[in-house]
Parts: sequence; C-alpha cells; structure tokens
Amino acid sequence: MVLTVLLLRHALAKSLWALPVAFGVVTVTFFVSRVFAGDPTNLYVPVDADESVRQAIRERLGLNDPLVVQFGHFLAGLLHGSLGESFSTGRDVTVDLWDRMPASLELGLLGLVLAVALGVPGGVIAAVHGERVPDFLVRGVSLAGLALPQFWLGLILVWLFAVQLGWLPGPQGQLPTGMAPPPRITGMILLDSALTGNWATWWAGAQQLVLPVVTLGFTTAAPLARITRTAMVEALGSEYVRTAVAMGHHGWVIPFKYALRNALLPIVTTLGGTVGFVFSGVILLESIFAWPGMGQYALQAIQMSDFTGLQGFVIYAAILHVIAYVVVDVLYLFIDPRTRS
Amino acid sequence: MTTTVAQAPAPAAPPARARRRARFARFSGPLGVRIGLAIVAAYLLVAVLSWFWTPYDPLALAVGDPYGAPSAAHWLGTDRLGADVLSRLMAATRVNLVVMLFAVATGLAVGTALGTLAGYFGGVTDTVIMRILEVFQAFPTLLLAMLVVQAVGPGTVNLILIMAFVGMPPYLRLVRAEVMSRRSWQFAEAARMVGARPMRVAFGHLLPNSIGPVLAYIAVNAAWVSLLTAALGFLGLGLPPGTPEWGSMVARGQDAIMTGQWWVSFFPGLAIVGIAGACYLLGDGLADFLDPRRSS
Repeated sequence: MVLTVLLLRHALAKSLWALPVAFGVVTVTFFVSRVFAGDPTNLYVPVDADESVRQAIRERLGLNDPLVVQFGHFLAGLLHGSLGESFSTGRDVTVDLWDRMPASLELGLLGLVLAVALGVPGGVIAAVHGERVPDFLVRGVSLAGLALPQFWLGLILVWLFAVQLGWLPGPQGQLPTGMAPPPRITGMILLDSALTGNWATWWAGAQQLVLPVVTLGFTTAAPLARITRTAMVEALGSEYVRTAVAMGHHGWVIPFKYALRNALLPIVTTLGGTVGFVFSGVILLESIFAWPGMGQYALQAIQMSDFTGLQGFVIYAAILHVIAYVVVDVLYLFIDPRTRS
Repeated sequence: MTTTVAQAPAPAAPPARARRRARFARFSGPLGVRIGLAIVAAYLLVAVLSWFWTPYDPLALAVGDPYGAPSAAHWLGTDRLGADVLSRLMAATRVNLVVMLFAVATGLAVGTALGTLAGYFGGVTDTVIMRILEVFQAFPTLLLAMLVVQAVGPGTVNLILIMAFVGMPPYLRLVRAEVMSRRSWQFAEAARMVGARPMRVAFGHLLPNSIGPVLAYIAVNAAWVSLLTAALGFLGLGLPPGTPEWGSMVARGQDAIMTGQWWVSFFPGLAIVGIAGACYLLGDGLADFLDPRRSS
C-alpha cells in the first residue's frame, strides 16, 4: 500500500517534469519543419500548376496565416487529440500512425526480447569468466554488434539467407506479396493470425519477421551485453558476493541471484533509453525490409515535405521516449529499495 | 568444535596457467588499442593516398561494365553505373574521415565549453542549457539529423555541423558533472582567492581537471559519427548526390543485393564496420587507461 502511493507520487512527479520537455519537442518540431521544409502544395498539384491554384490550397490548409497563428491552431488540435491532416495521405495523422503502429510494435517487441535474451546472459557469462575465452568471445561479438550499421547488416543477411541460401523470404514487408493479412484485431500479424487460427499466414509472417528481428535484436543486444558485463564485474567483486560464497552458495546462484539483481540498475537504464526509439519504428530497418511501420512513414514524410506527417511522428516518438524514462525511474523503486526513501 | 567452511576458497591456479592468464590479460588491453590505432592509421593512409591516386576517377561513370564482378581490372568490382568500387571507396574514406574528425572536434569544443559554463555557474545558466538539451535529446537522433539536414540542405560543412550538434550532448553532460563536483574544491578556491576571474577559474583550472572522462568518450563519439553519417548517406541525405560516401555507396548496391551482385554494397559497409570497430577498441583502451579501476 505504502509502495503503491509512493509509486504513484513518483510517477506523477516524473510526468510533471516530462511535460515541459514534451512541449519543447512539439514547439521545435513545428517551427523547424514549417520554416525549412519545401512547398507542400507540390503534393496536391502538378509542378506546372498555376500559382493561384497553389494559393487556394495554401489558404485551405491555413498555410497563409502567420506562423504563430498556425502554431495556435496546431496546439488546439493537439489538445483535441488531432495531429492535423497529412499532406501526403489526406487523412488525419493520428489515423495514419494508428494504422502503422502495430507493424513497428511487433518488430520492435520481438527485437527487444531477442536483444535481452542475448545481451543480458551474454554479459553475465562474460563477467563470470572474466579475461577468459567466453569473455573475449562476448566482447568481440558485442564490439561487432556496436560497429555494424543496421542497414548494412540487414542487407547482408538478406543476401546470405534469402538470395544465396534461399532459406528465408526476401524483404517484402510483413507478408509475402499477394498474401492477404488476417482480419485486423491488434494489427500485429503473428497475434492476429494466431487468434483467428490462420496458421499458414502465421508461418509466412514469422518467416518475414526473422531477418529484421535478428538485425534489430543483435545490434540492440551489443550495448546491453557491454553494460551488463561492466555492472556484473563490479557486483561480483563486492563484499556481499564474497559473503555469499563464504556462506556456501556456489554455481550460477551467485551471479544470477545475488550479483545480477545489484547490477540491474544500469541495465534497465540502457534498456529504457532504447525502448522508446525501437517502438517508434526503426527508420533504416523498415526501409530495408519494406516494413510498413511508422519509421517508413517518417522517412516518406521527410522526403515529400509532408510536415504534418513528420511532426506527428516526432511527437509520438518523443512521447514514447519520455514515457520510457518515467517507467525506468519507477522501476528503480522496485529494483533498488534504497531509492524509495 | 569442528566447523568446516562450507566451501574452501578455490585453490590457487597452477603457476603456469596463472602466468599465462596474467599475460593474456595484460596483453588484451594494449592489444585492442594497438589494433585500433593500426586500423585508424591505415584509413588515414588510404584517405591521403586517394588525394593523389585512385585506380580510376572515382567520379567517372562507365569505366567498366555495369555490375562487373571483382576482377584484375576492378579489384572490388563496379557498380550499377559502371563506376569503379575501389576508387570510390578510397575517395569515400577521405570524405567520411573529414566529416568524422571535424564533427568530433567541433562537438568536443562546443560541448565542453557549454558543459563548463553550466557546471560552474549553475543556477539559471545551468537550467536553461540543460532544459534545451533535454528537448533535443528527446528526439530520435537519426530523425533529428534528417530534419536538420533537410532544413539546411546538403553539403560537407552543414553535415559536419549537424553531426557535431547531435553528438554534443554527452560531452556537455560529462564535463558539467565533473566541473560541478569540483567547483568548490581547494584548487578552485585557491584560484579565486588569488583573484582569478570566474571564466578563468572555470576554463583555466576546472576544465583541465575535468577532461578525463571526456577524452575516453571521444573515440566512442567518432564511431557514432561515422555510423550516423553513413546512415544519412544511405538515405541520400547529407552530401550532394553522387559524392563518394560509404553510406550512399551501400545504398547504390541495395537493389543489386537481390540479384546477387553483393560487392557493390559489401565493401563500403565493411569500411564502416572497420572504422567504427577501431574507434570502439580505442575507446575501451582509453577508458581502461584513464580509469585503472575498470581494468582490475
């Protein structure tokens, strides 16, 4: 009970801190994209269109108002849950993002699970076998994971597994070309096809997911493995671990039960820093694998100077990022009782 | 009373094994640094060489057949437009290294200066700097870079400034924390007592004593800048189209991957991995060197 109150108070305080940051992000995005982006009327009419036609469009979109007035309209819309009309799709940006969110979430969620499954045990093993073969192996692999550009790793994996070996399908998005998606429940292919018992679709979707998930998981695991190793080396050298050894504990109980719990803070912090960005769609990865997620939406918005679409995405990403920070801060209370005071 | 210790401390490793392990441990630190330095030196050499000589003109198209496989005439093959991959790779090394070096230097200078100000003066200065920083850090980095690049247009100088701008926050935070923790130490007090002005105390006395963690971060930042530059290049942003640059070279081979012409994308990507990996090795070595506790 006390803990619940404490948690709520803490989360509230953190959220209050986050509000000005979120407002700052909205403001910067709005002005940067308005002042510098190209002419969005090109999205509505041919290049050789008459200037009066363009003027009419600008008038309709409210682009002729002073910037401050436009900003006011935009903020008012935001408070009503609308991000404005996308210049490239003609729909409200919230609708566009809602459509594309599940694809990014599915990829991001599986990628993160893989990253944690690889990175945390990898770091623990490296720390336990300090300066011996397993340690050098983990350090070498995580160094590679840090140095590999995601877009290149994705391409090379496609070349190896889809083109050369033919084990997996090429980059065609969530499902092979021509295959109908399952009825939309959550929007995530694996979940929806499983819920509707559509196993052929499930299998096809799973195959499409392998390469992007591996690319994302491997590159995200690398920093996790490194931070886990560093934190674990410190924890394993501590007096409470020495005491635990002296009391007769041995084997993997020491690293996983005693040391890992104490090493969790930096691990969770690192994870929190990546979660927001992973869930808002990994721009390059989605572009390589033709993944119809939010990252591709952002890329198209930039390339087509659709600044309402772009600012909608940025706001969504920033909010996710801020939420991740708040969650991490609240998690601290669970992990380390000392932070509860 | 016969209390037995539940588990005796592990017997000391046999001397030969212990010695071997100790030698390996001592070796691995400097070895990483040596490998890193050797790779960076090799890249610098290629960059300088590309100024005077490349096998073909890196900007010339159709010096060979489109998508020619690696051969004696074209060691790393040719791309979609028949340009020589090796020549472009050499020229790109120069372009990418220039961006990396200048971006790191600029980010370092601006970041440490602002961090010193924020850390030393605190109060309003600190609050203003940190709030602005938090706003920019809430953006996904690549997206922020894309946004600004789209806004200011392509070009080497613009790209360097953008990379410095998005790479600066960690420098600022590191220096701020160090300066803040030292500003009331005795050497700072002493400097104030002999009449040094605040700016002199901050930049002449506190900054040099706070630079350690920053130095270790430089290599990491360099790796990060090369990866981000390549990512922008891959999207066709940052430098004028056609400029030899690793990321844009990978993009030029993207379609060919599906038809089996792997060499167009493979070699430029390898170049990115090489420099980024070397920088991380150097960064780890520097961190161990500057913080002996870490290498225990």
